[in-house]
Amino acid sequence: MKNLLRELRAERGWSQGDLAEQLDVSRQTVNAIETGKYDPSLPLAFTIAALFKRRIEDIFSP
Amino acid sequence: MVPRNSSRPLIAGVLWLVTFFIARVALEATGIAPGLRITAALIPLPFFAAFLVFFIRELRSADELERRIQGEALAIAYPLVLVMLMTLALMERAVGLKFEDWSYMHVWVYVPIFYLMGLFIARRRYV
Repeated sequence: MKNLLRELRAERGWSQGDLAEQLDVSRQTVNAIETGKYDPSLPLAFTIAALFKRRIEDIFSP
Repeated sequence: MVPRNSSRPLIAGVLWLVTFFIARVALEATGIAPGLRITAALIPLPFFAAFLVFFIRELRSADELERRIQGEALAIAYPLVLVMLMTLALMERAVGLKFEDWSYMHVWVYVPIFYLMGLFIARRRYV
């Protein structure tokens, strides 16, 4: 899946580590999602959407 | 941040291995009573139990990607171990295997090797 995680993170000046801490996941998980190697679970996708105040479908696309 | 205390499984694992090799050396000595030999063979078990408890705790506190990686590593390793044992069983019937080369003492080392192979393959996919 494609996603806007890297762009959204960059808008806020966060590092991958910063974002990982806010999502309560590891930095490697954030990196894997951003590079498209891993699709997050639904609960994590909801957490990401809530953090960035966007809808899930605005952040993730097939 | 996801809480991690990855040193406990490692320390318990090392202790388990060390006690295994101590028991192995002890059992190669002669003149030890059978009861003591059995005790020596079982000494690594409590350390294995500690390793298992810490490893499972670590796994439960890991985030979803790490759990996926560990799951895929085991999904690769478990069938490899199974096919290895089944093949050795058939080879034993086919040609006979030398006990000094293919006993449990020699074959067990492939089990962690297969797990590490699985871990390498799974990590490469996601990280």
